[in-house]
Parts: sequence; C-alpha cells; structure tokens
Amino acid sequence: MLSLKTIPTAAALAAATLLSAPAALAEDYPSRTVEVIHAYGPGGGTDRFVRAVAQPFEEIAGQSMVPISIQGGGGMPAYANFQQRRSDGYTMKAISPDQIIAHVLGRQDMATFQPLARVQYDQGMIVVPADSPFQTIEEFIAHARENPGDLTVGITGAAGFDDTAMGLWNIETGAEVTTVPFGSSEMVSNTLGGQVDAMHEEFGPARGLIESGDMRPLVVFSDERLPVLPDVPTAKELGYDVTLGRWRAFAMPADADPEHVAKMFDLVSQAVASDAYQEVQEQAALQFRSVLLGPDEFAEFIEQEIATYTEVLTALGLTE
Amino acid sequence: MLEAYGSALAYLFGNPSSFLLIIFSVIWGIAFGSVPGLTGIVGVALLIPFTFVFDPTAGLLLLAGVYVGSTFGGSISAILFNTPGSPEAACTALDGYPMAKKGQAGKALGIALASSAIGGIFGTIVLMLLAPPMAQFALNFGPPEYFALAVLGITAISAIGGGSVLKGLVAGLLGLGIATVGLDPITGTERFTFGNLSLLTGISFVPAIIGTFALAEVLQRAGERVSTKDVITDVSTKLPSLKEFMATRITLLRSSVIGSFIGALPGVGATTAAFISYSEAVRWSKRPEDFGTGVAEGIAAPESANNSAVGGSMIPLLALGIPGSATTAVMLGGLTIHGIIPGPLLMETNTQLVYTVFIGMFIANILMLIFGIRMARYFALVLKAPYALVGPAIVVLCMTGVYALNSNIVDVGVMLAMGAFGFLLRKLKYPIASFVIGLVLGPIAERSLRQGLVIADYNYWEFAARPITAILLVGSIASLVYGFYGQWKRHREVTQKTATSNG
Repeated sequence: MLSLKTIPTAAALAAATLLSAPAALAEDYPSRTVEVIHAYGPGGGTDRFVRAVAQPFEEIAGQSMVPISIQGGGGMPAYANFQQRRSDGYTMKAISPDQIIAHVLGRQDMATFQPLARVQYDQGMIVVPADSPFQTIEEFIAHARENPGDLTVGITGAAGFDDTAMGLWNIETGAEVTTVPFGSSEMVSNTLGGQVDAMHEEFGPARGLIESGDMRPLVVFSDERLPVLPDVPTAKELGYDVTLGRWRAFAMPADADPEHVAKMFDLVSQAVASDAYQEVQEQAALQFRSVLLGPDEFAEFIEQEIATYTEVLTALGLTE
Repeated sequence: MLEAYGSALAYLFGNPSSFLLIIFSVIWGIAFGSVPGLTGIVGVALLIPFTFVFDPTAGLLLLAGVYVGSTFGGSISAILFNTPGSPEAACTALDGYPMAKKGQAGKALGIALASSAIGGIFGTIVLMLLAPPMAQFALNFGPPEYFALAVLGITAISAIGGGSVLKGLVAGLLGLGIATVGLDPITGTERFTFGNLSLLTGISFVPAIIGTFALAEVLQRAGERVSTKDVITDVSTKLPSLKEFMATRITLLRSSVIGSFIGALPGVGATTAAFISYSEAVRWSKRPEDFGTGVAEGIAAPESANNSAVGGSMIPLLALGIPGSATTAVMLGGLTIHGIIPGPLLMETNTQLVYTVFIGMFIANILMLIFGIRMARYFALVLKAPYALVGPAIVVLCMTGVYALNSNIVDVGVMLAMGAFGFLLRKLKYPIASFVIGLVLGPIAERSLRQGLVIADYNYWEFAARPITAILLVGSIASLVYGFYGQWKRHREVTQKTATSNG
C-alpha cells in the first residue's frame, strides 16, 4: 500500500519515466503511421506527390505515410486541422506557395511550421495557342508594352500562385497583361479556343498539347532552359528576374522535436532518392529543378519567398 | 477506325478478366453513388492505387466503369429517401421522391434506370463517333457562352414556380444570393464572411443540397408525427413499358443531347447538365405545373442527361487531354501515373486504350441495367424498417457523408443550417427546385460573366454580341416573357371564370 511518504517518490519515478519516454521513442520513431495533411483534392497534384513519396517511405521506414485531404475555404480548414493536432511527430503538412500567400495575406502564419523538406520545384511558362500571332516572347512583350493590359492570360485560381507569378512578370517586364482566373481545365480550353491570348501553366500538364503542336510555349520561368524545350528562352536570360515556380514540400509543427525533424528528413530524403519516386517525378515532368532542400536551406528559401510574394502582392493591392 | 475497334475487341477477349473488372467497377460505382457523401470522385480516387497492378487499359476500364455506375447510383437514394447519393442526382429527387411517395417507388427507380442507360449509351456513342469534332466545337464556348447557358437554365425558375411565380423567383434569388458567400471567384477576396475564417469555405453545393433535400425531409416527417411506414410500398423495380417509354422519348432525346454536350464543356459536368435539362423539360412541357409532383419526365430528364454527360466529359479528356469534370480530372491523374501523357495525340498513339474504353463504357451501361435493378431492390428493403429508425440513420449518413467529402467540419455546419432553411422553405411553400437551380447555376453565371467582362475589357456589347451567346440570351428572355404571359393569361382566365360564375 502507498504511504504518504512514498507518493512523491512514485510521482518522481512516474515523471522520470515520462520525461525519458521521448528519448526512448526517438530511437524507434516513427513507430506508427505518419499523416500528411493537405488542402487539395484526392488524385490532385499534391495528393499524388504525397503518395509518390509515401510508397518508398513505407519500405524504408517500415511505417506508412498517408495523405489526408481537407479541402475548401482557401486552405484554412486544413491549416486549422493541422494546428489542432498534437505535435507528436506523426502529423505533417504538405505546403506550397499557397501557404506563403496565405501568410502574406495574414490568414496563416509561416512561423507555425517547422520546414522539413522541399521536394518538388516546378517552373511556369507563358503558353500561346498554335495560331497565336506571337511567334516569340519579344513580340509578345512589345505588344503588351504598347497596349498595357490588352493581352489576357488565363490562370488557375484567383489571387493565388498564378496571379503572383504574372504580377511579378508585370512588375519586372513592364509588359503588362491582364489575368483571367479559371478552373484549371477551363483555362486550357479557353486558351486553345482563343478566348484568351495565353495561359500560365507548368510544363507537365501542358506538354501533351505542346507535343501535338496545338500550343507553343514562349518563355519559361526558370534559371536555365528546359532540356526538353531547348528553343524556349528563360525570362532570366532576357533580363527579367521571374523564376517563381510552384513547389511542394513537407513541414512539421513549429515545436516539433528536433530529433524527430532530423530523423524524418533522413527518411524523406531516402524516399525521394529512390527509383520509385524518381520515376513518378519524371512522369510528371518535374525533374528539371526539383532539388531536395533540407530544413535549414528550406527555411532560408521560405524567407526569400515571403519577401518576393510580399512585394508582388502589395503591388497588386491585395495586402492591407 | 474499324481496325482500332478490332484491336480493342481483341484486347477485351484476350483478357477475359477485363469483363470481371467492368462488372466489379459498375457495382462499386453504383454503391459509391448511392451512399450520400461517397461520390463517384471518391470511388475513382480510391481505386487509382489499385490500377497500378493492371496495365493502363485495364486501369482506365476500371475507372470508367465506376464513373458510369456512380452516376446512376445517386438516383437510388434520391428517389427512395429524398437523399441524393451524389450531387448529379439532386435533380432526380425533385420528381423521383414525390413519385415514390405516391407509392410508385419501383416505377420511379425503373424510369431512372432506363433513362440512365439510354443517356449513358447515347453519350458513349457520341464519344465514339464525334469526340474530336465535339471537342473542337466545345472550344468555341468561352465565358460569355457559359454565362448565357447558365442564364437559360436559371430563367426556367419562372416556369417551375408551380402556383406562384413570385415564390419561385424569391426562392431562386435566395439560391443565387447564398451561393455568393465565401471567396470571390475573380479577386479572391472574402465575401459575406463577417471576418469568420470558417465561412471562407462558402456555402458549397453538396452540403447545401444534402441539407435542403435530405435533412429537411427528415425534419418534415418528424414534424408530421404520423407513421409513414407504409407510404412507399411498391419497391419492386420495374423497367418502364414500351408505351411509358415512348411517352418520354422526346425528353430523353433532348436531355441526352444536352447532357453529352454540357459534359463535353470543361468545368461544368453532370450536375449542371441534369439541372439544365430539367429546366428545359419544364419549359417544353405542356403541363409545366405538374413538375415536382412526381412526373416521369422529371426523372427521365436529369437521369438521361447526367449519364450522357459521363460520355461527354470523356470527350475533352481523350481528345485534348483536358478533363471535362472533376471525376475525369482524377482519371487524368491516374493516366499520368501510368506514364500516359494525355493530349491530342492520345487518340492516335494509344488507339487500343481509347477504343477499349469506348467498348467498355458501352458494356458498363448495359451491365448497369442488370445490376441496377438488383441493387435498387436491396436498397429498397430499408423502407420496410420503421421511419423512426430510418430517419435518424439518414441524418447520421448525411453528416458523415458531408464530412467525408472534404474532411471539412464547416461543411457539416452548412448542411445542418441548410436543413433548417430547407424545412422553412417547404413549410412556406417556396419551391425547392428554384432555390437549388439558383444555387447550382448562379456561381457558373457569375464567374463566367466576370471572366468574360475582364476579357472584353468591360464592353458589354462585345460580351453579348457573340453569335451563340446572343441566341441563348435572346432565347432566355423570350422564354421569360412567354412564361409571364402564360401565367398572366391563366390568371385572367381564372378571374374571368370566377367573375362569370359569381355573376
């Protein structure tokens, strides 16, 4: 039977066990399923990204990784759900430029994330239909400079990543275009049908129409030309610093155990290096500048992104 | 072309397991369609990982079969419980449930099934024969045309009013208004959220539909306090007789054409197709006031339209690599994983895949007839249980279903609020159909009007003067004027009659 005297000892013992528990756990972490929350539909780009990493992850870590899709509300419900969960190393979030935009608009706070790994880094392009009068990006720019806002560019989503990329284009080049937000499939059909002059799209989703000759890319927003499109200039070589691209990454809660962060990054980087993942990445045409960034580099990258997005979104009049 | 079909048939008979896949996928699809919240999109998305073990053709067959089955499946619960199992079946509940309440549930299910199969086969034939030219024609539809199409559907509200045009218009405007809550589609700013971030989700369509239909129905029946156990008795599903079938042939043809075309338009799909063809069925009917009381056309129109939209939405996917609907967007993702690059070259480079899927969809529609009858029968057994058990079960299903859709708890709140709202609308005799049409077509009209005006640099004349837009808009105005004239004439006749009888 417990006497009054032994209670503090028992409590101390219990406390000691509790305190030592995380250390003991860190060795066999992860010991159960890791859930990755994201704000996009099942079967969409982000969902496929998580699944592509999850497949080799399972073999390497011996535990599964599952995407949890919480849609709607500009990503707020997914963010709220992530905030409400315990920070035990088993909840991650798939993040993208959408989080940076939400941060700049004051809806989400990047400080609530511990950056873990930036995995994919895509590059956008300005694409015109085959019968467009513009053969080169120079002609496109010349027309836009003479007639500011006359050219229309289809984008996906309002006040999101595409708007920011084209906003930066307007600022950098002075060749001002008007963006028209669509759903992604309507954007393509409206560009093909000549309802808008061009669209902003990544190479992967557009390549079918480029290969068939129905669409022509004029410029690519990257540091170097794409090996598959050797004749398409980058904005950078024309003297415009537009390299914004859509990236996909993992983050943990800000107060995540540093040991968990290190272990998880190790597992994710092994999964990303696997043939299974690399094959999926190539099928989606995402291999060109998808360099894996670890927690520290990724945090730096996020800082730069916040600076760029703040500048553009302020110029667009979207921030308060 | 014949060669392509030959190699497709050779594939199917060379891989007999593909028939098993089609059978499985149709049953899986009907099951997913019929449970509220588990839509065809979810059914397709869940199966994508399993397609890895098959070759791409078998994988796409599986997904297409689910798509076909789920589009019909939604009508089962719509008719039996006034609970649309999938959004595209919402319209079917408008006349399907009243018919079931009249004791003709079996007949309603039979009409839904037959219309689904006819629409589905029609859509598949259009897909087989006309995919490339249809895809090209659909590209002529820019924002102004989408706007005009949505307006055409919305103007039918004046005809649906039943007793009162005023009530129909008020309900329609309420639907249009409620749909504006959430994020602005063009500027991305918050509208009517009152600083509440959870309202950013907006009043999305599926929770609103499930609330106004299913929850409101449960509330109403709970309020009636009568044992409604025996209301729906005849649940032995019967396909309509040839005579009944011939009576709806014009509606079936019109709706199938509308469905396969609207399906081919990217960004709008089976749900829009169902509502627009319902609107048209009302508009062209000799007895528009009967709609909503359980008429055969009211079931045939949306069911043939939403199933023909399945074939329609495969058109831009296969001909251009642009998904025509949310479900085909998920399918596109599945194709990419198999290393197939969707685009205009797909039909040339992967002929076997494409033509096998054509034939597979054909078979799936026929199998749907066979399994649909059976599955509807099992579902109908639920009706033998007392409503005191069924009602609460429906509420639970609605809540879990709405939550499962996006895992967004705000949607459950929306569903509950819209349930109460729908209950009020019914009590005050405002037509639910008008409200829902406003809710579905309003956002399409708003978005495309504003996109079109941005493109036309706010030149309204340039926006409206495009040939297709102008024809559709003039048609809408004419139908509106005609509708009001008809109401006025009927009203005058009634008053004259009362005047003479009094005199």
